[in-house]
Amino acid sequence: MRHAFAIAKRELRSYFVSPIAYMAMTMFVFLSGAFFSNMVVYYVRQAMLADRQIEQIARSDLQLDVPSVILGEFFKNEAFILLLVLPLLTMGLITDERRKGTLELLLTSPIRSAELVAGKFLGAFSMFVIMLLPTLPFYYVLHQGGAWEPGIVAAGYLGLLLVGAAQIGIGLFVSSLCENVLVSAFGTYGILVALSFVDTSASLARSIWADFIQWLSFFYHYVNFSRGVVALGDISYFATYLVFALFLTQRSIEAIRFKRA
Amino acid sequence: MIAVQHLTKRFGRQTAVDDLTFEVRVGEVLGFLGPNGAGKTTTMRMITGYLPATSGKVSIDGFDLIDHPLDVKRRIGYLQENPPLYPELTVRRYLEFVAEIKDVPARRRAAQVDRAIDRVNLGEVRDKRIAKLSKGFKQRVGLAQAIVHEPPVLILDEPTSSLDPKQRAEVRDLIAELRGDHTVVLSTHILPEVSQIADRVFILNRGQVMAVDTPARLAERLRGREMVIVEVQMPQSAADSHQSSVVSRQSSVDSRQSSVVSRQSSVDSQQVALAREAFEAIPGVSHVVVDPSSGPNLHVRIESAPGTDVRGDVAALVAARGWRLLGLKNESLSLEEIFLELTKDEP
Repeated sequence: MRHAFAIAKRELRSYFVSPIAYMAMTMFVFLSGAFFSNMVVYYVRQAMLADRQIEQIARSDLQLDVPSVILGEFFKNEAFILLLVLPLLTMGLITDERRKGTLELLLTSPIRSAELVAGKFLGAFSMFVIMLLPTLPFYYVLHQGGAWEPGIVAAGYLGLLLVGAAQIGIGLFVSSLCENVLVSAFGTYGILVALSFVDTSASLARSIWADFIQWLSFFYHYVNFSRGVVALGDISYFATYLVFALFLTQRSIEAIRFKRA
Repeated sequence: MIAVQHLTKRFGRQTAVDDLTFEVRVGEVLGFLGPNGAGKTTTMRMITGYLPATSGKVSIDGFDLIDHPLDVKRRIGYLQENPPLYPELTVRRYLEFVAEIKDVPARRRAAQVDRAIDRVNLGEVRDKRIAKLSKGFKQRVGLAQAIVHEPPVLILDEPTSSLDPKQRAEVRDLIAELRGDHTVVLSTHILPEVSQIADRVFILNRGQVMAVDTPARLAERLRGREMVIVEVQMPQSAADSHQSSVVSRQSSVDSRQSSVVSRQSSVDSQQVALAREAFEAIPGVSHVVVDPSSGPNLHVRIESAPGTDVRGDVAALVAARGWRLLGLKNESLSLEEIFLELTKDEP
């Protein structure tokens, strides 16, 4: 696994000199901040209106849980933004190595292909974690406002990390299939959008199929985390996606070697 | 050091490398020579373990590639035709990364990176981003990458292609310095190069070995005969004027003048036959080839037995016939011609 860390380190280093990574990061932080501030303003206003109404009907025992509503909505949005941003981070993972000829360097080095895949994943995943860091001050803002929901925040982040990992895995696999970064990015978008919103089509199906289609969807599982619910089933759902995607990537890299250059 | 047995690679129906068997001894420099598509790169990719062979065996230093791929890969330094670089990294960071994935122990890494940088004279650019380097420097970085883990075997695929002549000479000198410490297999389609560096040359064509020998012996083997190239201009009426035994100087000038006017196209078959007949009559000449498509002048290739020199006789004959001698030179086959000879398509 030593090699995997070397590859991840190199990947991370390359991210920080590439404009695309900065663009993705800026986009993510900007959109997150915009959604967050909009939501805070919107829900605080709603809450104030509601408060007044409550006072009027004089039922002071009714409590509105504004922070958890905000957090729930916020985390849902975050997953959506990730969908836009992560393919930008994964599109070049293998595609670029192929284009530059460095895949040949890696595959003629004493590295197992599994280490290569693990390294690539770790590199992109670390970048994703770094990208999440600027969202931490948001909770400080909520905290200052008198609300503190550490449980929901932790569950929300766990959910984000899991859905991000699965998405990165899929992006990595797609990039191992493509020789062009644009194809890689849009292919990943296609798959991720389909996997995320497939549950909306579940209402058209009946009985067991509806359940199955719903179960396939990223958001169906992710929503639980954003509500502060951590279930083993949801965790293993994302873990399964990730492991399967990494396995396919490894197979795909082996297959590249059989192709004519 | 390198043992290759019955190595074959097929892409679909096409056979890229056909049943290649050879060995390379420790410290030897082996050159692969061949036109594009001859199977040089494919062979190298199979030796380095990038491309799986259709059949056959490769072993390096006693380790079989299929049974011990990591041991084999650890012992090989490989430079592809386009050096595998990360342009966004600095030279030093890049080499550190390569050293790491090539299993250089952490405590020796810095020293070996420095050593590789020194060996290929990259000191002045060690902290520059690779993207900013010139092509010659990039090629050197590629070479440094191949030697950073101090492998016993170096596989260099066209290490000097796409360089200018000066850079080419530099890279060639570098490779010459590396021999001795490493067993080297290199490919090229530049002939003088291979005769300068290689101990042994494989001429490959269509995946098969056409010839194996030292560069010098290869040239000698195919020389085996002397060759003279003559360029002559014959008067239009040469055939006729030859019939009359006495040719006055004046008339020959006249006929020449008239011939300049009339001879726009090419020589006629009569002249070709006449020239061939005349040159074949010279003692020692074994073979005469007249090139009929060479415009108004006749280009004749005269081959003779080894050790003979027919130039004097040829010149005398041309003068005696009243033809004009435009050129006469002695040719010995260069490696270039041997190469063309061996790789040319059968008619």
